[in-house]
Amino acid sequence: MSRVRAGVVAFRPTVAEAVAGVVLLLILLAALWPSLLAPGDPLAVSHTDAFQAPSPAHLFGTDESGRDIYTRVVHGASESLRIGVLATAIGIGLATVLGFVAGLGPRWLDFGTTRFVEVLFAFPGLLLALLFIVVTGPGVLSSTIAVGLATAPGYARIIRSQVRRTAAAEFVEAARVLGRGRLWIIARHILPNVIAALFVLATLGLGQAIIWVSSLSYLGLGAVPPAAEWGAMLAAGRTYIANFWWMTFFPGLAIVASAAAATVIGRGLQKRNRSAA
Amino acid sequence: MPSRRFSRPRAAAVVAAAALFLAACSSGGGTSGEATGEPVSGGTLTYASGDAEPSCLDPHVGGNYPQALIATQYLESLVSLDDDGEVIPWLATEWTESNDGLTWEFSLRDDVTFTDGTPFDAEAVAANVAHVQDPATASSTGYLALAKIKDVVAVDDHTVRLELSAPDSALLESLSQVWVAMESPKALERSQEDNCAAPVGTGPFVVDQWERQDSVTLVRNDDYSSPPADAEGAGLPYLDSIVWRFIPDSASRYAALQSGEAHVIDNAQPDTIRSAESDDSIEELDAPRPGAANRIELNSGKAPFDDERVREAFIRAVNVDDGIQSLFFGTAERSYSPLSSVEPLGLSLPDLFTVDTDAAADLLDEAGWDERDAEGYRVKDGKRLTLDFPVSTNQSIPAEQSLFEQIQADAKTAGFEVNLHPLDLSSWYGALAQNDYNLVSAPYTKVGPDVLRILYHSASIEPAPSGYFANLAQVDDAELDELLIQASSTSDAGERADLYERAQRIILEGHYILPLYDQQNHFLRSSTVHGLRAMPTVSTPTFAGAWLAP
Repeated sequence: MSRVRAGVVAFRPTVAEAVAGVVLLLILLAALWPSLLAPGDPLAVSHTDAFQAPSPAHLFGTDESGRDIYTRVVHGASESLRIGVLATAIGIGLATVLGFVAGLGPRWLDFGTTRFVEVLFAFPGLLLALLFIVVTGPGVLSSTIAVGLATAPGYARIIRSQVRRTAAAEFVEAARVLGRGRLWIIARHILPNVIAALFVLATLGLGQAIIWVSSLSYLGLGAVPPAAEWGAMLAAGRTYIANFWWMTFFPGLAIVASAAAATVIGRGLQKRNRSAA
Repeated sequence: MPSRRFSRPRAAAVVAAAALFLAACSSGGGTSGEATGEPVSGGTLTYASGDAEPSCLDPHVGGNYPQALIATQYLESLVSLDDDGEVIPWLATEWTESNDGLTWEFSLRDDVTFTDGTPFDAEAVAANVAHVQDPATASSTGYLALAKIKDVVAVDDHTVRLELSAPDSALLESLSQVWVAMESPKALERSQEDNCAAPVGTGPFVVDQWERQDSVTLVRNDDYSSPPADAEGAGLPYLDSIVWRFIPDSASRYAALQSGEAHVIDNAQPDTIRSAESDDSIEELDAPRPGAANRIELNSGKAPFDDERVREAFIRAVNVDDGIQSLFFGTAERSYSPLSSVEPLGLSLPDLFTVDTDAAADLLDEAGWDERDAEGYRVKDGKRLTLDFPVSTNQSIPAEQSLFEQIQADAKTAGFEVNLHPLDLSSWYGALAQNDYNLVSAPYTKVGPDVLRILYHSASIEPAPSGYFANLAQVDDAELDELLIQASSTSDAGERADLYERAQRIILEGHYILPLYDQQNHFLRSSTVHGLRAMPTVSTPTFAGAWLAP
């Protein structure tokens, strides 16, 4: 009981972090249980309601087919978040393998892997993702994988240096002297020490992944209309930006808010993680 | 923004002057650029196109609308049309048809040279027809338009005889199109790549430079001497040059017009056309294209649309009217005809397209699609009622794509699963070539009702040399074929009208197509641009008589 309270006191969020936390919770709720926040059908067309400005009946207004933008933004959260989480998982998963191989492997393997990662790193991430989509063809799955692959090199470098630092620590040395197996050392000593950093990376990466996936949909390479995906909604609204600002504003706001919230939380975790270490 | 603040009062003055001028002279005229005094020579006009950048600037190759738009500025045809649709002289001064309709003799102008110095003569006409008909050119539109020309004989330097395999009542209309315009025979001898980069014609402008993915620069043809018979003004053209830019994004295109970066834009969005009405510095030019109306073709060549009941069910299930109303802001009118509203012989049958969801459900039940799966889609023999709909994002404006989404939603209620596939132009052609579609919307522009033969004669299921086939509904009906052949060979106006009416009845009553509206062709121009008009042939704007107010 007292330990929990101590924990809560120690984790004193700043105002920005509190707001970010609320935003993330809302997005999570929207993703897991969209009909709680917006009971309507995000694909329901209503000719008579097209191009309505925001009003109490349509909080965020309606689009060119009379679909309610609030409902679409809420239902779009699951799509954007799912793709974001999946892409980050692919990126970090791949990076973990690369990072451990480079960090713990023999010198030649480290050299090879590091050079490979550096070559990939030289490409702007989005370009790498586009390259992948050119080969595999557009779609939600390929854009998810593309973003995952494109983010992996950046993570791999960080993980490698974490792994090397931990592997050189005295307690790992001690375990080795005690004759512990290689895998046992990785599982019991190195991984737990890298995982905190991984968690921070994942939170930060989520924001970035959401932006990238939205960018790809915006370019018409991800989700296909009329799917309620934020990037695709932004692209559809772009045509009407001269007269109907709400069609781009609210999906754009959702992208900015979720990416910013993930980044604020990630930075907060990073800071505490560092001061704890 | 200061430039805009300064230009507003000036623009208002120009408009006021135009209004005075119009009030003073009784004839309104069909052109959009009302004269506000003497034309001024000089200046560079920037045109921003939202159509796909052509891969070849020679409209003989392939032959689509983006090519026609730009080629109208540097290529000219044997004949043209006036505002009433009558054929008028252009590079040919007069012509006669033999009694059996199998030979046509054209007298050509003897004072015209191509911009590379080659004289325009009978040999040049022969070389152009041969170029269009050569399979290596991979022509589609021009190839189909000239399909009946069997031989071209140079009678003398400036008289040419066309010998046909069958009478062709649409020959003059076909020849008026820019897809079969005259190019320098010397230039045609170059490699196709070179000719595509800078075709050489007799027009008011010359292709100077092509910066791929960005713009084409056209410069004034100082020796220009061959405007069509209905052109007004002397000393054409007035402009020094035209920068033909490609700005695919419609919002950026409109912004470029508003900021003065572009003087004329095409493919204007319906909502911006509406808002431009209250903006004195922007004027509209509406030029519906001739030929076919924009329509959705139902591929009758494969399941499930090989069953007419399923086709009718689809047409009865979707509400297009309300969508057109809300998406196009009153700038487009619903069509119930295979032909454009500018075609006098178009037949409209609105009753065939009233929405009736109950009838649609009955038809589907009858056709065996009487079960529904968990998602509400109809199923037959364990197969879902799925329709693939490839959409060319280059040829469909966003409002049209939204209309397709609404059709998708309506069709879902009836139990159809419509899969929209937004594709770039080449992937879209690929999908059609693979017969990978059940629904498709493909614009087709041609002068006159003969477009029906190209779109719905069973021979058009065979691909042209370019690989494109025009009968996308894959209509294969012997009676229709016969009517279309007869109509294209008779020169009796009454008989021709009757034959085309019967042909259109078969197409409409067979539920092969869902007509939407005329091919939208809205241009917005800055009010500083004068003398701009759309060619009465294929409705492409011509800048021959255009000038910029200083």
